[in-house]
Amino acid sequence: MSKSDDLARIIIGCKNGDSESFSRLIDIYAGRCYGYFYRMTGNKEVSDDLLSELFVRVVEKISSQKGGSFEGWLFKTASNIFYDHLRDKQRQKKLLELEGNRPEIKSAETERLEDDEIDKLQKQLKRLDMDTKELITLRFYSELSFKEIAVMRSEPIGTTLSKLHRGLKKLRELMEQ
Amino acid sequence: MSDKNEENLKGLFEKFFDPAEAEKMTEDIRGGEEILKRHPAPRPADTLIADIKAKVSQAALRQRKINLYRKLAYRMVAAAAAIIVLVSITAKLAEKTQPEKPVTASASPKMIWDDKDLTTLTTEIEQAEDDVFALRTDQNGNGYKETELTELEINVTEISSNFWKG
Repeated sequence: MSKSDDLARIIIGCKNGDSESFSRLIDIYAGRCYGYFYRMTGNKEVSDDLLSELFVRVVEKISSQKGGSFEGWLFKTASNIFYDHLRDKQRQKKLLELEGNRPEIKSAETERLEDDEIDKLQKQLKRLDMDTKELITLRFYSELSFKEIAVMRSEPIGTTLSKLHRGLKKLRELMEQ
Repeated sequence: MSDKNEENLKGLFEKFFDPAEAEKMTEDIRGGEEILKRHPAPRPADTLIADIKAKVSQAALRQRKINLYRKLAYRMVAAAAAIIVLVSITAKLAEKTQPEKPVTASASPKMIWDDKDLTTLTTEIEQAEDDVFALRTDQNGNGYKETELTELEINVTEISSNFWKG
């Protein structure tokens, strides 16, 4: 049985609510989805939470996934979850500011310890704008084709190609500094 | 990470840019993605995976129940709709096969005459009938003429027919 047939069988099992199929789906995609969340947030704890949320949402929504690439759908869901998280974070920050509480300011020592934990790539990715960072991360971890990514982002394929090229070139320059 | 479209990258760029530029862009992209390969992201902890699997298992059970209720609800709605359609079709058919109700004449005067007129006319008719009856019974004894009796009968008939004509 080919890999794609196997995956198709797993997805059918998931759509029927089979726990074993979900377990196999997690084994296949957890690593890549975690990589995507980690590169987007730079935080392991947040990535843990987002990964849990992703698979619970997959259980709830997999019946609505009809045709098309499963990976495209999965990473689109992951992207939505990440942006929901980002919006929540910004809302909380605004709320704290409105209440007169200043958001927690990290000490230089804490920042240094956190920086030691994250690799050089993470530090440089932080310097890119969110859209470029997401495009690079999505392309790498989802393993989707440019066409699929362009469809997912609702933009022409030429735009996706140019943006990714510019982003990776910039990242390369930053890493060489 | 593998790149399933790696071999088509140059071809893809050539659709939008000139060959030299496409070649350069392909190299830039490969170089950039190479950096990502050299810096792998951390893997999720085994405990996290076990925890997610437990959560997902519970969520799947919950979802199965929801789907089951949803299916039942859909079936019930479909059955109710079918019953409504059947009942309305049956009612239509029954309406078509039923003979038309005859319209009784008694209904018309009631609609045309009001209660007061009706009572007056009924009294007149009754009075005339009584007169006829009295004439008939006294026909031989009190010397009433045959013509008077006939006249009275004509009057009664006239009043009666006027009444029914409205």
